[in-house]
Amino acid sequence: MSRAVAIVGAGPSGCYLAQALLKAEPDLAVDLIDRLPVPYGLVRYGVAPDHQGTKAVIRQFARLFERQGAQFFGNLAVDGPLLDELRANYDAVVLAAGLSADRALGIPGEDLPGVVRAGALTRALYDHPDADALPDLGRRVVLMGNGNVAIDLLRLLAKSPDELAGSDLGLAATDWLATQEIEDITIVGRSPAAAAKFDAVMVKELGKLSGVTIEVVDAGETTDPEGAKKIEALAGLSATQGGSTHITFRFGLTPIAAEGDGRVEAVRFSGPSGEETIVADSLLTAIGFEAGVEPLNRDRLITSAAEAGAGLIAPGLYATGWFRRGPRGTIPENRADAQALATRILADLAVLPDAPKPGRAVLTGRAGIVTYEGWQKIDAAETAAASADRCRRKIATRAEMLALATATKEPVE
Amino acid sequence: MMITILYGTETGNAEMLAEDIAAELEADHEVTVTNLSDFAPTDFDAGTFYLMVCSTYGDGELPASAQPFAEAMAAAGAQLLGVHFAAFGLGDSEYDDTFNGGSQRLVDLMVTHGATQIGARVIHDASGPDMAEDLAFPWASEVVALACETMGEAA
Ligand SMILES: Cc1cc2nc3c(=O)[nH]c(=O)nc-3n(C[C@H](O)[C@H](O)[C@H](O)COP(=O)(O)OP(=O)(O)OC[C@H]3O[C@@H](n4cnc5c(N)ncnc54)[C@H](O)[C@@H]3O)c2cc1C
Ligand SMILES: Cc1cc2nc3c(=O)[nH]c(=O)nc-3n(C[C@H](O)[C@H](O)[C@H](O)COP(=O)(O)O)c2cc1C
Repeated sequence: MSRAVAIVGAGPSGCYLAQALLKAEPDLAVDLIDRLPVPYGLVRYGVAPDHQGTKAVIRQFARLFERQGAQFFGNLAVDGPLLDELRANYDAVVLAAGLSADRALGIPGEDLPGVVRAGALTRALYDHPDADALPDLGRRVVLMGNGNVAIDLLRLLAKSPDELAGSDLGLAATDWLATQEIEDITIVGRSPAAAAKFDAVMVKELGKLSGVTIEVVDAGETTDPEGAKKIEALAGLSATQGGSTHITFRFGLTPIAAEGDGRVEAVRFSGPSGEETIVADSLLTAIGFEAGVEPLNRDRLITSAAEAGAGLIAPGLYATGWFRRGPRGTIPENRADAQALATRILADLAVLPDAPKPGRAVLTGRAGIVTYEGWQKIDAAETAAASADRCRRKIATRAEMLALATATKEPVE
Repeated sequence: MMITILYGTETGNAEMLAEDIAAELEADHEVTVTNLSDFAPTDFDAGTFYLMVCSTYGDGELPASAQPFAEAMAAAGAQLLGVHFAAFGLGDSEYDDTFNGGSQRLVDLMVTHGATQIGARVIHDASGPDMAEDLAFPWASEVVALACETMGEAA
């Protein structure tokens, strides 16, 4: 009998892990469990809707379920008791549940209305079923953060409607963007430009926007070649002029407080030349993610891990991706991480003295599970509903997803 | 004939395509699939036809799995006279200036070191309407046929 592996989280880390395991041992029984009714994690709900090329990895992941025998158990959130059950029933259990809570700035005024966090905003923009309502950003936005997520948000907020053609940005978000009256976006980094986390190519892409005027203040200089690429990309933006949305890049500013009476009115910073206040109707933070309050108690598991670097938490229990490493790294890094962990798991399974465990029998038949066939029905409905200038129209609520997934009608081909 | 498909990838698209091409060619040829990260310039063999499938990253650069290979080629001053290859690129036209720069770099690298390119490089656009395999399968059968002629072997 073959060994059984349960992977908690069907994002890119979980999928690449399943891929590497099944490539080496096609007979393994590999199950991917996700709290959402739909697979692929942040490839679906984080990667920007106008970066469809990056989402093309989904074709690899689909093959796991369509040809390689992996099974999807969607709409099943794993908590402590279920994790114990999984460990009792699978030879290996891997936590690939990501990190989805927005990090806080840790400054006074941060709870004022008008402070909006990137994770919450992207979930709302990208039709995540657990998203909050879309906020009103007002005319002047301060965007705190210098990672690729900040640049994604900057680009989306600044795009004109026709620049979103071919994307999968939903109706609600499209209408919301059209009604926002953003005039100024000041993007602020704590570090100097040379040390910013964004990729130069993400910055260069901003130069293609038609409706913006971009100003870069004090990008500085550096001898570090990676930093120099960033400064060069920023310098290239000064040619982007004439549009009505003003974008200003600021560096080396540390936020001290969000200020305002009942709502954000300004953000105070300390910088090289003392304190400075930037007037703002909203403060958008894109400064990273953390575990937050979640049922797996991630931080405790990882700090107590037997070999955190290798992804081993305890015998038979592993971690990979953002859940293991923290909220850093792009899809390729998760692939490398997952491939290394697959090698480790296969080696551990090979010397496991116990008889193989029963595996998926513990999950099948549970109420509310969305199978891969269920996801295919949702996927088909989303693709069929796309308007001419969109490649997909996501279903935004769990109830509709579940209704589609459990419908007895055959999927539309 | 003996065919080795070498792939350079970051997110695995080129690897999947390499495996799909291998499955297409396997009935008539002896095909191996190897990651460029596991391949050294000294491994090239004049009796084998190389299909190189490679994506693009950064700013028109080679993907991570192809970079050690490129460095080794330069460091070793590899001599590839008599080696035949063809190239297929994966890229995204959203990156307009550097569209498919990675596969072009790979072609330049091979040619600089004396290898002979068979057929033209064909490229895929992740933002375009085509599936990579719909472009790559016809490319593969064409360059394999050309290689059979050039390398003087019956298929
Ligand atoms: C806004 C944004 C944009 C990004 N854009 C890019 C980009 O363009 N290119 C790039 O390379 N990288 C990008 N990244 C980074 C990339 O998304 C991550 O590196 C990657 O998704 C991490 O993969 P993961 O599988 O570890 O986590 P995730 O993708 O978060 O997947 C985790 C999965 O686990 C599930 N889960 C969570 N808790 C439970 C539970 N208790 N039980 C069951 N399931 C659970 C979740 O529903 C989710 O599906 C972006 C990230 C963000 C936030
Ligand atoms: C960060 C990043 C940078 C990229 N840069 C380029 C580029 O400069 N030129 C290009 O043609 N494609 C670029 N691409 C697109 C990839 O080459 C394309 O998605 C390809 O299918 C990836 O194949 P792989 O999975 O084998 O790595 C880039 C993709 C990403 C995510």
